[in-house]
Amino acid sequence: MGELLRANTLTHLTFFRRSRLLLAFGLVFLLLASLGSLPALLAHSKVASFDSLKDIFLTFNEFLIFFGAALGLLVMSSHLSNRSLKMVFTKPCPPPVWLASTFLASALVSLLLIGFVLICAVALSFLWHVPVRAGLVFISLDTFLAAMGMAAYFIFLTTVLHPAVAVAFALVFNGSLFYYLRILMHGASQVAGKSVILRSLEHLFHFLYVMAPMTRAFESKTKAIYSSFRVPTHDWLYLLYSLGYILALSALFYLLALFFLQRKRFS
Amino acid sequence: MIVAENVHMHFRRGLAGAKIRALDGMSLQVRDGDFFALVGQNGAGKSTAMYCFLGLLKPTSGRIEVMGRTPELGSSLYSTVAYLPEEPQYHLYLTVEEATRYYSSLYGKRLPAKAVDDILERLGLGPFKKLPLAKCSKGMKQKVGIAQCLMVETRLLFLDEPTRGLDPIIVREFREILRDIHKRGATIVMNSHVLSEIEMLATRVAILEKGKVIAQDDLHTLMTLNQDLYNVAVEADGNVPDYLTVTDRQGSTLRGHIPKAQLYEFMDYARQNGLRVLECSLQRASLEDSFVRILQGGAPGEKKVN
Repeated sequence: MGELLRANTLTHLTFFRRSRLLLAFGLVFLLLASLGSLPALLAHSKVASFDSLKDIFLTFNEFLIFFGAALGLLVMSSHLSNRSLKMVFTKPCPPPVWLASTFLASALVSLLLIGFVLICAVALSFLWHVPVRAGLVFISLDTFLAAMGMAAYFIFLTTVLHPAVAVAFALVFNGSLFYYLRILMHGASQVAGKSVILRSLEHLFHFLYVMAPMTRAFESKTKAIYSSFRVPTHDWLYLLYSLGYILALSALFYLLALFFLQRKRFS
Repeated sequence: MIVAENVHMHFRRGLAGAKIRALDGMSLQVRDGDFFALVGQNGAGKSTAMYCFLGLLKPTSGRIEVMGRTPELGSSLYSTVAYLPEEPQYHLYLTVEEATRYYSSLYGKRLPAKAVDDILERLGLGPFKKLPLAKCSKGMKQKVGIAQCLMVETRLLFLDEPTRGLDPIIVREFREILRDIHKRGATIVMNSHVLSEIEMLATRVAILEKGKVIAQDDLHTLMTLNQDLYNVAVEADGNVPDYLTVTDRQGSTLRGHIPKAQLYEFMDYARQNGLRVLECSLQRASLEDSFVRILQGGAPGEKKVN
């Protein structure tokens, strides 16, 4: 089992390394992120050093969450579309192992890139004489968990849907939409009186809102860390909670993806 | 080794599309040590049958057992099974060497570099081992497929149109490799349109038509199936029986054929009339002749497995 996981994970890493689509996505975002960071760099002064660093660091971390989604999307869609899984599943390599390797490879790449951004941020802190705060590590770990959640979500979506449809689905059907619909139904049911249908719809949208995957599950609690980069001791617990949430979410998407993967026709 | 009983495989194209019966009650049996060929026209269900044997497709109904187990995706059953797909749908981002190594590692063990190199050299892939599969020709990809089949000690080998796109030299060498694997006791199941190739290699053949096995037997029996003529050459002074159809006459030597049912009558005639029989042999038919004859004759009912 270990050898199978190793072989598949290394192959996925090779895929990520050679994927031109991923490279293009990375370069485009790097360009956008660099342009976004340009004002912070140009207006850089000793006083504004911390703000510049914060802007750049947070921009890149935000990008890495999307990049995690791209990793999940590409690794699954590429193998499904070129039908190479035929070669894998006609050998003693069961789908659970192969699927686990896609999660593992996505996690490793995310970790590597997040680590790189963290090192750059620390280097920049030294260069600009900004104190290195624990928030950098906290945000990096939080970003890693968020990226893992996104990768898991997109691995599942791409197992079921065409990649373009998966992206559209994720963009439209997310927590914000369900929250908005829930509020809408709540308002409507207040106006219409005791409408069973509206109340049921409100509950349904509330359920979907709760179930919709969140990138940062404890965003409201950790907002201060993102602005000051200071981490009160007890706030580290939120990372543990996030880890628990992401593990549960990933396990759910893993099982769902596995369910659909095993029912696919590999012909 | 493989048992398929009344296997149905139905697809629907799209949500409201027409139902396609890729397999429609297919039954066959592959015995241990067979070199078994599945032949049939395009769309007869050969590849679908193979996908079902490999667990890539789940039959709509019916029973399939491979080495006593129901095939499933990535099952441990495949630890002694190798498969060469019809279309080279490999991991195109890997190089020739990486792909060969990766596919062999899916059997749960790492092969020494020398073993990989040896196989690649044997198939003429040595100089191209650093070439990405995306840049390889179809024939080269097919060789990679062959290489990954040779990486393990197989008990059962599935080949889906194995020599498609290969150059004649490699086809010949591949045939030798297959004979060698078969001699070592492996069972081989092969789909092919190249009937001459099946004639050279297979020991047993099943003919599929519209998702059903319409004939299944030893290659030799199938090749003589429905054969009702004997070729004869005799020296005669002109008196020959009516049922001898003369096709060639050179001096006193006549060549022609007689119906199979009248063989003994012809022998008696020859003895009584002093004909000198130079040749008398069952007309040799190719698998292609038998195949066409069986298909043209409709489904005569599956021949029982011996």
